[in-house]
Amino acid sequence: MIHSLNPTMKAITVILPAILLSFSFDIITPAIMFIYILILTFFFSKLNIKKWLFYFIPMSFFALGLAWMTMLYTDDKYATGPIVFSFFSFDIRMGSIIVSMSLALRSLCFIGLSLLFAFTTDPTKFMLSLMQQVRLSPKLTYGILAGYRFVPTFKHELDLLKKAHRIRGLGRAKGWRNRVEHMRQYFIPLLAGAIRKAERVAIAMESKGFTGSKDRTYYTVMKIKATDYLFIIIMLIILIIAYYVSYRLGTLNIFGHRIMP
Amino acid sequence: MIKSWRLKDIVLMSVLGVVFGFIYLGFFGVGKVLVAILTPFGFGPIGYELIYGIWFIVSIIAAYIIRKPGVAFTAETIAAITEVLVGSTSGPTLILSGMVQGLGAEIAFALTKWKNYQPRILVFSGVSAAFISFPYHFFVSGFHAYESWLIMTMFVIRLLSGAIIAGYLGKMLADQLAKTGVLNGYPIGKEVIARHEKSSTNF
Amino acid sequence: MKNHQPIFELDSFSFSFDKHDEPSVNNVSCKLYAEEVTLLLGASGSGKSTLTLCLNGLYPEAIDGFTSGDLLYKGRNISSYPKGVINQEIGIVFQDPESQFCMVRVEDELAFVLENLSIPRCQMKQRIEHVLDIVGLSQYMKHNIHHLSGGQKQKVALASILLMDPQYLILDEPTANLDPISSLEFIETIIKIQKQQRFGLLVIEHEIDDWEPYAHRLVALNNKGELLLDSTPKEGFQNHLHKLTKNRIRVPKRYENRKMPIRPSSEKESTEVIVNLKDIQFNYKNKQILNELSFSIKKGDFCAIVGENGAGKSTLLQLIAKLIKPVSGSIDFLNTPLSNWHENELYKNMGYVFQNPEHQFINQTVYDEVCFGIKLRGYSRVETERMAHHLLTDFDLLSDKWKNPFSLSGGQKRKLSVATMLHSKPDLLLFDEPTFGQDAYTTSQFMRIVTHLNDKGVTIVFVTHDMDLVDSYCNNVLVMQQGKIVYDGTPKALWRKTELLEKARLRIPYRLRLINEEMTI
Repeated sequence: MIHSLNPTMKAITVILPAILLSFSFDIITPAIMFIYILILTFFFSKLNIKKWLFYFIPMSFFALGLAWMTMLYTDDKYATGPIVFSFFSFDIRMGSIIVSMSLALRSLCFIGLSLLFAFTTDPTKFMLSLMQQVRLSPKLTYGILAGYRFVPTFKHELDLLKKAHRIRGLGRAKGWRNRVEHMRQYFIPLLAGAIRKAERVAIAMESKGFTGSKDRTYYTVMKIKATDYLFIIIMLIILIIAYYVSYRLGTLNIFGHRIMP
Repeated sequence: MIKSWRLKDIVLMSVLGVVFGFIYLGFFGVGKVLVAILTPFGFGPIGYELIYGIWFIVSIIAAYIIRKPGVAFTAETIAAITEVLVGSTSGPTLILSGMVQGLGAEIAFALTKWKNYQPRILVFSGVSAAFISFPYHFFVSGFHAYESWLIMTMFVIRLLSGAIIAGYLGKMLADQLAKTGVLNGYPIGKEVIARHEKSSTNF
Repeated sequence: MKNHQPIFELDSFSFSFDKHDEPSVNNVSCKLYAEEVTLLLGASGSGKSTLTLCLNGLYPEAIDGFTSGDLLYKGRNISSYPKGVINQEIGIVFQDPESQFCMVRVEDELAFVLENLSIPRCQMKQRIEHVLDIVGLSQYMKHNIHHLSGGQKQKVALASILLMDPQYLILDEPTANLDPISSLEFIETIIKIQKQQRFGLLVIEHEIDDWEPYAHRLVALNNKGELLLDSTPKEGFQNHLHKLTKNRIRVPKRYENRKMPIRPSSEKESTEVIVNLKDIQFNYKNKQILNELSFSIKKGDFCAIVGENGAGKSTLLQLIAKLIKPVSGSIDFLNTPLSNWHENELYKNMGYVFQNPEHQFINQTVYDEVCFGIKLRGYSRVETERMAHHLLTDFDLLSDKWKNPFSLSGGQKRKLSVATMLHSKPDLLLFDEPTFGQDAYTTSQFMRIVTHLNDKGVTIVFVTHDMDLVDSYCNNVLVMQQGKIVYDGTPKALWRKTELLEKARLRIPYRLRLINEEMTI
């Protein structure tokens, strides 16, 4: 199950394909990866599908929007083939459609992988794992966790700020200058409070004997297991398969260069 | 490097990350609106570039407040990690782009040996963050498929956005924050107090 | 006890945040003993908290501060101990329950302390369970700290300090942000543990009534951070009362010779209703917060809303101010339903002061803050200036006119937040815990302002935990318990309902506790 994987290894497994996929400008490669990601999401993790769709759908609209942009502004390298249709002054060629769909599928892969990570990882464990596996300094680890702990407080404060601004008669901002001014009016109280809290919590942590030294014991021990390696290896294998299938089909396109078998 | 930072410096970077995590969310919306407005004129992809500087602002604010080597880089990285912890839908790749952007911002301060925090260095830091981050996004987001004139336009706008939003706006916000007195325990606050004392002795 | 060696010895000890600053702790010489309970008194800003952080070894290093004179811990200069050692022997519980933790869950927070001490992993679980048992939070081990009440959070803070087996414990206003019953529970817990484990205790509190019976020593600082008094509590409070009160130090109420003023309330009883709520129901995240609430507030009332945390007091206040909308039921303000009020018009006639005044600040100077609302009402520049000047004078803020609102003291901020609500004579002012975490001096100053407004005809509704305030100022009190109003009437009659008070977790005012005590003796 993806929930029980080591968070650091999981992060690497998620980042790797995201980078390696960046070489491909065809449809088949990202499509195969996307199918694999969906299989992982639906069959190997216990996440709430409704919640997943709630995040996935709006983000995939964004991916489609980007694809549309790419289609209109495709570079000559890619805008090959017959004109499929015209839109205002734009002539859309087959090549443009392919490359924009490729980029859209790539974004969908990013989104899928990111959601997979976000929904199956406990933040505290991720930090502890970074400290224990990547040797991130305890000072940074616990410093970051201390800030993260304030998230619910800030949500609450933001809500109160909105209400307080209404009472003061601060209406909706119009125009750029007012928008910037508006941002300042949220930013200053939110951060002023946050900085005081940061200072207090740092003092409180140090008064509990925290020195930031690496010489400490661990209550929650994070380990890397065989399944973690397996997960990363399978991910890479699927990626290789994806590239290979595309190669065999004659569709592989690395940075605009068609690579044929 | 980490040894020269106090714990409160690190927690400060982290809370900056949390607060800007919220502000970034708001800017995603602004970006979408801009894209929608610009698309009919044929400038859609520029929408996000216009406000791209906001993503470097934590580097500049943190470095300007704390004024120690490595702060610009670490603050941006921590901000990215915090956003991932909060459940950002960009996932762990965000940490990578945070590191790239932070590195870009750090270069400006490194060139002055972390001694100069004047406005022009802060603006330059915003520009260098934009400069370094662009090739990264060129690669990851497949800008390769765009026409070259568009890529150049996007690049120039990103540099400007880095200068104005990250550099200028970042400095302005940090200055205003220093005026509230909460930063008196940091180099920026000490500077404000010193300036204040100087001006009051002049009278 | 004094023939023992002192645990702390201060000899002309001073501390300042900056070389050129006035010292916050100024030339203090005194001795502190283990196994004693010492009260450390002083007004806000007298350097008490700073001193405790010096005792704990965190200052001056943590903030690059400056010291002079000597501070000895067990006969050795405190700076000669390696980093972290003193912190572990001297524990501190701080005021703000929100900013003492770095982990999400109770268990992990406590483990964090044990990890700092490099305790072997196999012993951790047992130690955590043991300490949670001591503070009475056994069933909360796996809970998220954020979901605990303020009192429970402070007990978690206490538990994490106890894990270090401290020789000396410093309490820096640990109950200032708690409701009265939680506060009493916390004090009782700590005294019980102190009696068993016999560590020294240094207590900083603004309300020291509940601590005073246990104290052996009294150390007071004046507002320059100098030593004002070092004596037994009895001697200090009996013989130096004037000296203490002159330095704005609140003494236990039984030593106070001044009685709290009780405002005559019944004579101006009006029948005109200003706010009327009918069958109000309110849900938050599918949870019922308020249920079938009906009551009315009369014009000119000085009304308190009381009840334990989570009873729905703030929710109720926000409903009246139209900041949130009820699921069902109706609210009338000045005989017009809230839904018919235009927001601009509504907030001309009604003001709301938030618990944290900073939330309401939107400008960069005190002056602009006051002008903002006046300008919005369409007054001319000359008139705005005149009105602002008037308000600033009334609220004693004229000398701070060009300061940044955030840089004011706690009391000044509170005053400013009230001033910003007075741009157009409102009929109703709502306050959410206006005296929370404030010291006695700022509380009384603040109440004077509010009373003055009430005398001018402004209806006052405020949420509070302070029954002494209710007793001395209010003519009406609403008691809330689990989303319902269980009492609506005069404070006087409320104090007689022992059972109801207990259920709603309220403590009767000090005046009556004293009478009850005398009766039992």
